[in-house]
Amino acid sequence: MSESLAVQQVRTSTAITRVHEVLDAFAARDTTGEILTAVRHFPAREAQWAEFPAWVNADLRSAYAAKGIRQLYSHQADAAESVHAGKNIVIVTPTASGKTLCYNLPVLHAILENSDARALYLFPTKALAQDQLAELHDLNQRLDNRFGVFTYDGDTPGDARKAIREKSHIVLTNPDMLHTGILPHHTKWTRLFENLRFIVIDELHTYRGVFGSHLCNVLRRLRRIAQFYGRDPQFICCSATIANPGELASRLLEAEVHVLSANGAPAAEKTFVFYNPPVVNRALGIRRSYINETSRVAQEFLKHDLQTIVFSNSRLQTEILLTYLQQANPHLPGKPETIRGYRGGYLPNERREIERGLRDGRIRGVVSTSALELGIDVGSLDTVVMAGYPGTIAATWQRAGRAGRRSGSSCAVLVASSAPLDQFIVRHPDYFFGNTPEHAFIQPDNLEILINHLKCAAFELPIAPREKFGEVDVPDLCARLAEAGFLHPAGENYHWTHEAYPADTVSLRSVTSDNFVIIDITGAPQVIGEVDFPSALTSVHEKAIYIHGGQQYHVEHLDFKERKAYVKQVDVDYYTDAIRYTQVQVLEIADTTPGGDSVSSLGAQHAAPLHARSPIPDEPVILSEAKDLNSSTGNNRPAHSHSHGDVLVRSQVIGFKKIKFFTNENVGAGKLELPENEMHTTSSWITLERPLLQSLPFTVSERQSGMFGLLHALESVATLLLMCDRRDLGTAIGERPPSPGESDQGKSEQFTPVRMEEVAAENAREFFEPNLYLFDAYPGGIGFSEPLFRVHDLLVHKTRELISGCTCKQGCPSCVGPAGDLAPRAKEAALAILDRLCA
Amino acid sequence: MSASLDKFSRLAALKPARPRAAQPATLRAPDEEDALAKQLGAGIAKNRFGEHLAVSNWFSTPEFVEPSTVALELLSRTRDVSLPKCARAVLEDPANWLFLDTETTGLAGGTGTYAFLIGLAWWDAGGLQVEQLFMRDFAEEHSLLQELAARVAKRPVLVTFNGKSFDWPLLESRFTMTRKIAVPRLVAHLDLLHPARALWKLRLGSVRLVELERHVLDAPRLGWHRENDVASSMIPQYYFDYLRGGPAEPLAGVVRHNQMDLRGLAALFGKINSLLDVGRAAMEETDSLDLLGLSRFLHRRGDANRARTTCERALDAGLPAAFRPQARRDLASLAKRRGDHHRAAALWQELLADPHDAAHACEQLAIHYERRVKDLPRAVEFAQLGIVKLRHLRIHTRDPYLAARVARLEDKFLARLTRLTHRMGPNQAPACAPLIARK
Repeated sequence: MSESLAVQQVRTSTAITRVHEVLDAFAARDTTGEILTAVRHFPAREAQWAEFPAWVNADLRSAYAAKGIRQLYSHQADAAESVHAGKNIVIVTPTASGKTLCYNLPVLHAILENSDARALYLFPTKALAQDQLAELHDLNQRLDNRFGVFTYDGDTPGDARKAIREKSHIVLTNPDMLHTGILPHHTKWTRLFENLRFIVIDELHTYRGVFGSHLCNVLRRLRRIAQFYGRDPQFICCSATIANPGELASRLLEAEVHVLSANGAPAAEKTFVFYNPPVVNRALGIRRSYINETSRVAQEFLKHDLQTIVFSNSRLQTEILLTYLQQANPHLPGKPETIRGYRGGYLPNERREIERGLRDGRIRGVVSTSALELGIDVGSLDTVVMAGYPGTIAATWQRAGRAGRRSGSSCAVLVASSAPLDQFIVRHPDYFFGNTPEHAFIQPDNLEILINHLKCAAFELPIAPREKFGEVDVPDLCARLAEAGFLHPAGENYHWTHEAYPADTVSLRSVTSDNFVIIDITGAPQVIGEVDFPSALTSVHEKAIYIHGGQQYHVEHLDFKERKAYVKQVDVDYYTDAIRYTQVQVLEIADTTPGGDSVSSLGAQHAAPLHARSPIPDEPVILSEAKDLNSSTGNNRPAHSHSHGDVLVRSQVIGFKKIKFFTNENVGAGKLELPENEMHTTSSWITLERPLLQSLPFTVSERQSGMFGLLHALESVATLLLMCDRRDLGTAIGERPPSPGESDQGKSEQFTPVRMEEVAAENAREFFEPNLYLFDAYPGGIGFSEPLFRVHDLLVHKTRELISGCTCKQGCPSCVGPAGDLAPRAKEAALAILDRLCA
Repeated sequence: MSASLDKFSRLAALKPARPRAAQPATLRAPDEEDALAKQLGAGIAKNRFGEHLAVSNWFSTPEFVEPSTVALELLSRTRDVSLPKCARAVLEDPANWLFLDTETTGLAGGTGTYAFLIGLAWWDAGGLQVEQLFMRDFAEEHSLLQELAARVAKRPVLVTFNGKSFDWPLLESRFTMTRKIAVPRLVAHLDLLHPARALWKLRLGSVRLVELERHVLDAPRLGWHRENDVASSMIPQYYFDYLRGGPAEPLAGVVRHNQMDLRGLAALFGKINSLLDVGRAAMEETDSLDLLGLSRFLHRRGDANRARTTCERALDAGLPAAFRPQARRDLASLAKRRGDHHRAAALWQELLADPHDAAHACEQLAIHYERRVKDLPRAVEFAQLGIVKLRHLRIHTRDPYLAARVARLEDKFLARLTRLTHRMGPNQAPACAPLIARK
């Protein structure tokens, strides 16, 4: 035992030098300084210790002692004390800081003191629940199996479920199962609900946007059922580092939540590197493939015998990277493979085997999707290489945290793709390494979502009119549901009167469960996948080339009524791009601000004003001389304003383009007749007034093009600030509707329908006073518009940084969009508009 | 405001539940309530939780069939475990039996499904007394459940058709939801779905109660007919329509449907009782397929002896050719279980000709010759024959799952073969090779 420990120490000490050798080699090759855009060293940090609280059950304390835990980190002790004092808490600490103990300790203590007590643990994925099960089993063995702990999810066999409902002190499940399997059958879970003391929600930050809005409603239902059985459970939540954990938690739980953010865990020395693949075509802004570069970087580490984990953002990329790395590291005949893949779709046993292989060092490298990002214990690896920015700062830190969990030195490398977000992050390292600006937002009172959950709630328990369910008029909604035939008032309550089981029709991961299945009819018909309604129109319209699992399919027929797309396998050298016509109509303006005079904070008023005046670095500003023109209009009105409110979005796919691979040539087009899609949602928009546009020294088409390019960049930055996906936001440009009191100028334009984003700008008529819309791409809105409105100044400043920092000449996918789609001076025009907005 | 009106009209979650616009709920005048009672032939029942409607009828058919102790024992057994003695005394007294069938607002289960009509029946004065409890509105549910609890307390042996997995759990859930009325305790719960499936699925394919009435219970003699019966799938909708002020007539149809189901259940119980009774079963003229079904049911509930004699009777009665291998295989495994290995071996030999059972027979014979007869060369022969049969099956199937299963079985045979040749020693092994070739 002692011998192996000594060997371990030798290895880790040499690992430090080997990590540095590799990094030095990278630095030596980067002659221009454009590749390694940041190299940050984080020194090791000592642990802050605290004693076990005196009240902790003695058996539990000795069980932990037997595992080698005799003292707590300070934040673990704080968490235990807060829970003991009856508070709802959210613990905000990085990966590998022992957060599991923060909830297991008080929960197990309560169960050991009173064997009736029950707890429900919610994890966003099944794999995480499995991992926690192993940890709890281990503790249970040391405690002579005094409590019952089981996972309850889609994989739980039917004949085991009854026993689990009776025997489980701790039920590990996920929100989807709680929603469809537990709450609608709560009478079978009376033992749990009558004694429910704690609800643990791990990875709280993953519940944002649509998923978070759903979870909030599921929790409303959960609390309702708990109250029915006379319980008011306490919540213990854990979150990765985001800017507003307290706000998110109190929004989700609709209760006061105590935030614990001091971290007492030790950390090993770590180096974080941003790696931007070298430019191969400066004019078009084309860089070397980040997949190949990732493979190269990982290969360097592997060659130096550093255990490495490679993260990719899709299953396909995982397979490609795995192939590269396995080719470069052929395993010896008769020996097991030393480089493995890890992703959803692998069987549980195979996953467990890989996790073990990583822990004992047999496996030297693993290529994974986000599956390994969340707290699955794979021991401490030496290096992490990320192929592409994971989408959020929180996720990036979590992935980086997989290296050097306990001690030694480790290294994390982020290899940027040419996507705007990736480029922004690697070129603005301070944005990433400074205080996290990422906020998680939810909109639980989105009516589409809320009403679906109200139906589920009525199914679970008749609704009393005085009940509260979100910030809505419950009696009114119940009356509407009764009118639609779902509910019936009897006695004092509304009862469910429908044969269907409502939870089955509500998916927690989308707003509506309306989707298209894709059927491959090359051979015997076979379902190969599904797409949700909004993307179906653009991705599986007739004659589209649909790519699934690396295979191209030609869409033969789209059965709109039956929601089916029939496809055949093909092998062609082009892809298709739908031409979408989008109109936005403003229904109601919630708030509007004349531009130029406010710097607002993203956090809501009650959140800590961390960024009340976020530092805006002085970037070199192109065309700064144009500034004077702004005042030369001789008009006192501000030349722009920004607003948010309710809008109606009408969109229609009217055609498509065929675009050749690699050259991006337009090799054909087609017209389509698809039904118009209407969506009521929320939007934030910027209005560019006439004086501002007139003052710009550009031609009409350059101005138009500049606006589209600007919108492209604004969308990228907005996704960054809102921690959301590009699909979550929609964009459109439209003429500002006339408002009362304005002069007659531009009368002829008044009723011109606003126009599409994709139909190229050449033939478009000039906008008189355009609105640049960024709208929530979900019916009813998902809570992005109002924060985006508040953060307007940060948005435009960061967008200016993005565009002005880009080295391309006339626009590229990383800033204002590919140069071919825009007029030559679009990038300059976009910057000129931004200068006015920032002024 | 128009915008907000729009907002609601656009919500997918508020799209009407049915294409036909639901009627707005209307309140009924008291005299209309009486009209409903009249329509259903019901009276108003009261207890401390409120009111509900109760429909009482006495029927002379079906006729009461004397209980069979053996049959009751078999029906009440779960996985070889018999009821305790004191419970058996309660079970054997027909005065304690309560037939139950409910009509519900859906089949999905879960806490949002209600039993709006609870049908109960018991033997009384040589005929069947039927009592149906109906709630005119959800507010009457507690009084309905209170009444049910009182009936169950008096007759604690429940007899149902699919009630073990549907009606009773649903009612348990309803009781739990009241938070006031405890779930009544049952001494025994005899569910006829599984016995019926075992007995008649082979012959009928479907064992819905209506099918059983027609093909097993001799429908014309039962005393009721189903010509104008309501479709089960429409029942929830009739009730919802009624709740919203719609017509009460369809509900009269539902009440009649429930009556027939209860009477059919009582008749089926009599039929199963006499089929399972040793004395009576032997005398009855029974279809050979039903005999095979009966034998499988007896086998499953642990009566191996009768299972064997019944199975033999089925074969003697001229079982259709397609079912003979199955019967032989049952007999063989029964023989093996009671230790009659020679009889079992003889049956497996007969099965070697059957394409589906051959591999199984080979396996059993290989085990038989290895362990009992200790004739290793014979065991090898059968193992090799099994491999040949499996390969044949694998080549000729297009079903990937079957192919995978066959491949696994083949591996098992190969392992067996390796072990056998190892045990026999090197000299004897080659002697077996020609056996495959010969086949």
